[in-house]
Amino acid sequence: MELVLLVGRNLTARFTRSLFTWLGIAVATASMVLFLSFGEGLRQALVSEMGNFGPQIRVVAEGTDVFSPPQPELPPEMLEQIRAMAPELGIRKIIPSVMLVRGGFDPATSFFFHGLPEGADPRDFYPPAKAAAGRLDPHPDGAVVGAKKAELSKLTLGKPLRLSREVTVPVVGILEPASGLVDSLIFVPLKTLQQVLGTKNYGVFMILLDPDAKVEEVAQKLEAAIPGIDAQSTNEALKFAERSLRIGDLIRFGISLVALVVGGLLVANTVMMSVYERTREFGVMRAIGARRRFIFGLVLSEALFLALAGGLAGVLAGVLGSAAINAYTREAVGLALSAVTPRLALFSMAVALVLGLVAGLLPARGASRIPVTEALGRI
Amino acid sequence: MLRAENLTKRYRQGSVTVTALEGFSYEFPPGPTAVVGPSGSGKTTLLNLLAGFDLPTEGAVELGGARLDRLGEDERAGVRLEQAGFVFQSWNLLPTLTALENVAFPLLLAGVRPAERRDRALALLDQVGLADRAHHRPNQLSGGEQQRVAIARALALEPAVLFADEPTGNLDSAAGHRVLDLLLEHAVGERRLVLVTHDLEIAARAERVLHLRDGRLVKIEEPAAV
Ligand SMILES: Nc1ncnc2c1ncn2[C@@H]1O[C@H](COP(=O)(O)OP(=O)(O)OP(=O)(O)O)[C@@H](O)[C@H]1O
Ligand SMILES: [Mg+2]
Repeated sequence: MELVLLVGRNLTARFTRSLFTWLGIAVATASMVLFLSFGEGLRQALVSEMGNFGPQIRVVAEGTDVFSPPQPELPPEMLEQIRAMAPELGIRKIIPSVMLVRGGFDPATSFFFHGLPEGADPRDFYPPAKAAAGRLDPHPDGAVVGAKKAELSKLTLGKPLRLSREVTVPVVGILEPASGLVDSLIFVPLKTLQQVLGTKNYGVFMILLDPDAKVEEVAQKLEAAIPGIDAQSTNEALKFAERSLRIGDLIRFGISLVALVVGGLLVANTVMMSVYERTREFGVMRAIGARRRFIFGLVLSEALFLALAGGLAGVLAGVLGSAAINAYTREAVGLALSAVTPRLALFSMAVALVLGLVAGLLPARGASRIPVTEALGRI
Repeated sequence: MLRAENLTKRYRQGSVTVTALEGFSYEFPPGPTAVVGPSGSGKTTLLNLLAGFDLPTEGAVELGGARLDRLGEDERAGVRLEQAGFVFQSWNLLPTLTALENVAFPLLLAGVRPAERRDRALALLDQVGLADRAHHRPNQLSGGEQQRVAIARALALEPAVLFADEPTGNLDSAAGHRVLDLLLEHAVGERRLVLVTHDLEIAARAERVLHLRDGRLVKIEEPAAV
């Protein structure tokens, strides 16, 4: 209680300096919160995406990673092979597909085409899918467009969509918003997309199982029976994605560490300066009867207080920044990419506090060890 | 009880050894005792040792039953808090605290409750005639007022010994005598005052005057007895 008064008095006595230090920590913490919020956002998006994902198993060519669109490397014979195994394994439906990604950095000019075989429609991927206009099935030669995509690229029913120089299809359906990746996809007939890619192969087999089939077991049996494929269950993909996200987290934390170290040096500098300026004050306190621990606590509290206040402001700024980012990415890709979860907020506060502690320890130790006679100076 | 036995302080500076104080033995009786001597004669050094700010190279110091020369840093601080009060020549007060908070500071260290601290600090300020300046910062007070606040603070825990090192050094003679009056007023009964000064006129108001020269106690005068 008394310490709070003393700390407050000293920080306000050197107001500008305290303010800048506080700002420095706030900026460092905010940048860390923002960096890491992407990981959290992706994690949340991924979980909700996978939760709504129809197929339980995804078969791709060996070595394809979860995040890039699979290349058409699976030959038609493989499809037959799997079809032959279907009854025995409890496979309800096989959806062979290819994907095509076109375009660049601007979401309005990026296109994610998804080929659908006859008899399949967007509900196989995203069961709650509904048509807001037109129909759900792109066959025989149309395109069904996700809500976000339609809005961004100003696609309406009947508008032509060019897949390549030769191939153009009209928009025949627009989906209702689903706040997920499906909002950004364009479903076209598989044959059309294969023609565009100049291939008879498939990029992926999406596999839907009977309700009582064992997912991991089926995936293992498929991999054993057909060399050269990866059969990933949705769960497995989630786990894999989680691992990559964690690596991303580490990298992002590493980058924000730079800002944090700068913030820590700011605190250390402020506290060291103020210790230096107050040598005589500490001498007077010790002369009166203050123990060294008292001085130590006083100086350390200052650093911790700065770190705490800066950390709080930083987390708050991070929350605001994250909301701003989400407002943009929701507009652009229909996903909230950034999330400041409670655990992220807590982690950031802890990092800020550790920062203050580390930055304050040395000056505090120094201040508490100045000999009284030296601190009092020659009178 | 304040007693020094063969108190010696040497400072080593490279190959040179400066003897700031040598063989000082004296038992301070109750009441005011002045310490005088030319600059560099060891007055401040003596006070530093008597108050436990520093440890002697040789000899013993006893303050209020504690052998300061045998105690560690924090233990000496504890003895000071209980037994001693201090007034320096200048720069006595904590600049970010008000007069009232400065006076209350030793009470805070001693663990006195806030409400009681405030009341006692106000009463002390009143004693030195500064009740109306309670909420002023040191830089809003004159030099003489600052010294009086310092005295109020030194008296806060009713110390057995009051140490003052040139408390009137920066003041004109009127303000200086006012400060001196306050110090002497409290050096009654069993209480002691150790007043370091180079001003013989001020020293003359003490009951005894110790003369230091080159770190040695050379003469003890008792002006009042004369
Ligand atoms: N920390 C130190 N290191 C080296 N020498 C010192 C130190 N402190 C004091 N001295 C020396 O010890 C001697 C006594 O110093 P001291 O400060 O006690 O004198 P003083 O009587 O208080 O003088 P003044 O009246 O000028 O305050 C001086 O010669 C001084 O140079
Ligand atoms: Mg001196």
